[in-house]
Amino acid sequence: MNLRMSTAPHIKSSDTTSSLMRNVIIALIPCTMASIYFFGLNAIILILVSIASAVLSEFIFEKLSHKKVTINDGSAFLTGLLLALNIPSSAPWWIALIGSAFAIIIVKQLFGGLGGNFINPALGARGMLVVSWASIMTTFTTPTGFAAADAVTSATPLATNSADYTTLLFGNIPGTMGETSKIMILLGLAFLLITRTIKWRIPVVTLASTAFFSFIFGSDPLYAVLAGGIMFGAVFMATDYVTSPMTAAGQYIYSVGIGLLVVIIRVFGNYPEGVTFAIILMNVVTGLIDKYCRERVYGHSKGEKHE
Amino acid sequence: MVIQKEKNMSKKNLKGIFLNGILDENPTFRLVLGTCPTLAVTTSASNGVGMGIAATIVLMGSNLVISSLRNFIPKKVRIPSFIVIICMFVTIVQMLLKAYLPDLNDALGVFIPLIVVNCIILARAEAFASKNAPLASLTDGLGMGLGFTLSLTLMGTIRELIGAGTIFGVTILGASYDPMKLVTVPAGGFLTYGLLLGIINAITNKKKNKKGDK
Amino acid sequence: MQYKTFKGGIHPLAREKGGKTASKDVSTKEFISDTVIIPMSMHIGAPSKPCVNKGDYVKVGQVIGEPQGGLGLPVHASVSGTVISIDQKSLLSPGQVTCITIQNDFKDEWVETKPLGSTIEEIDPKEIIPAIKNAGIAGMGGASFPTHIKLSVREGQHCDTIIANGCECETFLTADNRLMIEEPEKVVNGLLIVLKAMNVTRGVIAIESNKPEAIKKIKNAAKSTNIEVVVLKTKYPQGGEKQLIQVITGKEVPTGKLPIDANTIVLNVGTCKAIRDAIFEGRPLIDRITTVTGIVNNPGNLKVRIGTILADMVGECGGYSGEVGKIVSGGGMTGLSCPNEDIPVLKATSGFVIYPTAKSISLAEEPCIRCGRCVEACPLRLDPYLLKNLCDAGKIEEAKLNNIMDCCFCGTCSYVCPSKRWITVSIKNTREIMKKEVKK
Repeated sequence: MNLRMSTAPHIKSSDTTSSLMRNVIIALIPCTMASIYFFGLNAIILILVSIASAVLSEFIFEKLSHKKVTINDGSAFLTGLLLALNIPSSAPWWIALIGSAFAIIIVKQLFGGLGGNFINPALGARGMLVVSWASIMTTFTTPTGFAAADAVTSATPLATNSADYTTLLFGNIPGTMGETSKIMILLGLAFLLITRTIKWRIPVVTLASTAFFSFIFGSDPLYAVLAGGIMFGAVFMATDYVTSPMTAAGQYIYSVGIGLLVVIIRVFGNYPEGVTFAIILMNVVTGLIDKYCRERVYGHSKGEKHE
Repeated sequence: MVIQKEKNMSKKNLKGIFLNGILDENPTFRLVLGTCPTLAVTTSASNGVGMGIAATIVLMGSNLVISSLRNFIPKKVRIPSFIVIICMFVTIVQMLLKAYLPDLNDALGVFIPLIVVNCIILARAEAFASKNAPLASLTDGLGMGLGFTLSLTLMGTIRELIGAGTIFGVTILGASYDPMKLVTVPAGGFLTYGLLLGIINAITNKKKNKKGDK
Repeated sequence: MQYKTFKGGIHPLAREKGGKTASKDVSTKEFISDTVIIPMSMHIGAPSKPCVNKGDYVKVGQVIGEPQGGLGLPVHASVSGTVISIDQKSLLSPGQVTCITIQNDFKDEWVETKPLGSTIEEIDPKEIIPAIKNAGIAGMGGASFPTHIKLSVREGQHCDTIIANGCECETFLTADNRLMIEEPEKVVNGLLIVLKAMNVTRGVIAIESNKPEAIKKIKNAAKSTNIEVVVLKTKYPQGGEKQLIQVITGKEVPTGKLPIDANTIVLNVGTCKAIRDAIFEGRPLIDRITTVTGIVNNPGNLKVRIGTILADMVGECGGYSGEVGKIVSGGGMTGLSCPNEDIPVLKATSGFVIYPTAKSISLAEEPCIRCGRCVEACPLRLDPYLLKNLCDAGKIEEAKLNNIMDCCFCGTCSYVCPSKRWITVSIKNTREIMKKEVKK
């Protein structure tokens, strides 16, 4: 009898990194469908180019650096998809190409590959694109579906402050491709929560603190949450495992920080939308939060210093 | 004893010292010194060349003077003495630039007087000029300065090409090129610097491995 | 009184109800095999020294191994018959151990037994702990710690609660469950005996909520006593002594110390029953209930003599029902992999799980994605991902600062990790290295 020998535990949970990535991709399907419905052919092209660029970049980089090729774990696919949903539909295809390549090669692979990125790769790429090609990245068109020729450049509801809640929820507004339809984002959130892929804390507390701080600074809290990219950011970008804190206390601090920074950038900063940089800034601080928000170990007294 | 050693230095060694500053101990890509002006000034190739040459003149002058005075400057006050000597040359260079190249002076701005605290100059004063003969120190200054200039020009060219589509003001990439403004801001400067360092390290390691195999 | 649960923990194999359905409702069958292999080391402490020779005839309950050293325990023959060999065998622990193999003559001839009494009242408390030692009783829940040492409270320590652990939180195992259903009075009496020996008033029997029948039976048996039967939320590792003590007494065992330093003693329900047998019947520990489950035709619990070989037990359970990939002694979370099917039942063997080939594949580990599931699940609130990274990098001092000494190897972190990182193994290996360095 040829028996396998292994060490305890001999049973493992059925979650794998690939299955978790797959869950997030599935949760993004409603937003992807909505983006194609609203922005037509441009959306399809940008999404395909972005995903292809991400997967190809990872493949080429890992081959050149003689590392194990990991495109099968779905994380490059996910980064490509997230980036596509973060750019305006009027952006040319090479924006998606360069953005995805930057996200994978520079933000993810150069910092150690999966688990090593210090900020959310898609968001880091978006930040780079906003700095590099500001006019392209801040030009939004009205959603006209497949009649792209009729698209007209217009300001987002966040800038105009004049849309009604139903339109904001449904998504027939200018904006980046994934952020427009809040209902689709909420469907994705529900899926993620039901499959226990993410915890409720980060999305809920981020949105709550954005509403709260918007209210403090004199804007309509519900409008602040429904307009702009904060809902997409709170559900899909801020919840990236690698760059968000691991303990409950840490997640509260992180989420409140994002809400505060978003409102500060919106009110006092030059940019109309502050989600990208707010989340990036809190990503950078996550290591520190994780270090100081550790729970008391069983059998030890409170306030005992680790490390 | 020390004077004998210096007299024995041959011309061949001078070539070694000169090339050292350009390749083996390139101040930007090997010693990683003077990164502040490197990042700030290399938004265009011509700025890079200008800064490089200004720094080279200062470096050569200060190396020569410090080396000549090296046996007279007491060890305990050497750093302030070096700074005074360097300041002298920077002031001269700044006045010359203001007079004859005012555009370059405006482009480089505060980074001209900041040459005083450029780590390369103080480092070479401390590590080389204060311990070696004037001719050798002058050669070292020339080598290091040229190495610095070449590095700045390389970075400046890359950043100008990607960030504006031009090299030395000459349009290369045409009107349809939408420049990537990231490389013109400090974040992009860091990225360019880092990636260049990585590539240069990769190439030199490959060369070392090949040599080692032989 | 409703007891809260502890922070962290998991529900392993939740969809398969912890893997217990196959064996938990099947009555225990008694099984006597024709050979037993009795190792001289079934306890923490120096192995005992054989005091019989090859060819000797031994009776059930006869001492065949003399205790050595402070933590030593006597080893008894579990069947009557002839000693056919005394040799070194490789079992589950590293290295080899002396084993006495006895050929059963099925006469079941016992040595003379000396019970201390037949009711609690007539027993002299001072005689209880020595009797427990002479009966060779060690912790039957898996730790194999000599029970008489556990019950010997030192100067400056005092005990105010004794908990009988009937949680059986481990996956696949149902031996304690069947014991509580079939012999609840023996468990209760065992606990009463220990309470009398230690002069402690508060006795608690803790059972997880997924054993309703056992809860009913035990509550019934403990009706006339002042033993508290506590029903706890089913969660792994509720049966870990640190978690039990935290939930039932509200106190925590201080780091580096033992439960007695939280004024509590925890005993497995099987150990309690063995204590009762030793005191009321003078029987040493020579048998126990063991679960055999997995790909056997008739999974269930067998009451077997110590030293019974797994291969014989599998035969009693109808043989294998598929291609065997892996055999584990113990449960899915903390069991030890068996090199072959000739492993004997030890004092602390709660069960064997036979895995099919399909379920015996170990997945390769991937990089840590900092998802935080291990941090959330660790019942001791450690940071397993950090400890694994430190162990892999060989940073032992830093691992010590991050409380690697507190890890109880429950396996929760490795279970939840989506990257399938071998966290528990790395920590165990580093602890072994640390132990060796201390010995130097």
